[in-house]
Amino acid sequence: MTYSPVLGPLIALAAWTLVMFVWMYATRIPAMRRAGALDNRIGKGPGHLDSVLPAETQWKAHNYNHLMEQPTLFYAVVLILAMMGDRDHTTLGFAWAYVGLRILHSLIQSTVNVVRYRTIIFALASGCLFLLTIRLTAILVRTSA
Amino acid sequence: MEYSPILLPVVALVGWTLLVMLWMLVSRMSEFRRMGVSFGNIPAGSRGADLEGRANPSAQWKSHNYNHLMEQPTIFYAIAITLALMGMGSGMNYWLAWGYVGFRVLHSLVQCTVNIVAYRFTLFTLATLCLMAMTLHAGLRVLQDCGILDF
Repeated sequence: MTYSPVLGPLIALAAWTLVMFVWMYATRIPAMRRAGALDNRIGKGPGHLDSVLPAETQWKAHNYNHLMEQPTLFYAVVLILAMMGDRDHTTLGFAWAYVGLRILHSLIQSTVNVVRYRTIIFALASGCLFLLTIRLTAILVRTSA
Repeated sequence: MEYSPILLPVVALVGWTLLVMLWMLVSRMSEFRRMGVSFGNIPAGSRGADLEGRANPSAQWKSHNYNHLMEQPTIFYAIAITLALMGMGSGMNYWLAWGYVGFRVLHSLVQCTVNIVAYRFTLFTLATLCLMAMTLHAGLRVLQDCGILDF
């Protein structure tokens, strides 16, 4: 069975999110042990660890959560582009650009976390998603016309 | 190439979410100007949530709604695309999906402007009922195909 190449970047971003999951826990568990927070048997609710753990540790978690926000739109758009059989090189290019920029965004937020860089990379990624959404709308409108 | 009509409301909601993102960006930037915040003086690691209680609440409402649009709608995308793949994306499911999108757009407009909880709650409930009906249709079809339900 042949499939649309645009599924490649989709898989890459899902995989990257799972890498961030590992990075988050690899830094979080030792930090929790140092802070004595592993002894909590009962959950304290969202955001509690922000007040207990060092900021650099939480930055990985902030980014992991971030990857469950806008990328969910990317998954919806890319899945439908694949269902429509889009094999266009420009589509593929923008999808890979989105994934590349989101990886860069993760690396920045998880390390130096300078807001200026993060914002620029986020805006560029959002621009790619805008263009993919417009492309998909055009395909759907053209097909139904 | 033919496609399932339910994909149209899906793309419409993605487009709407990106518009709310722009709305959030514009109101946040003007709030930054008012507060004297610039890229030069934002501490490393700051997030939108750090503005709670400091920025004008109505500027944050756009951000609350943008985040909201990444919560339940993810289930809508999954179910709508599933219905499309099952060949069930037309007729009643198509209109339920447009209903979901319409209520979510109204919900955004309410939350980003007056933000009266009673209105927001009503619209959110109506949207959720559309999503419940879509999910029920997909679920019943699967149970039927497995021979668990017979009707």
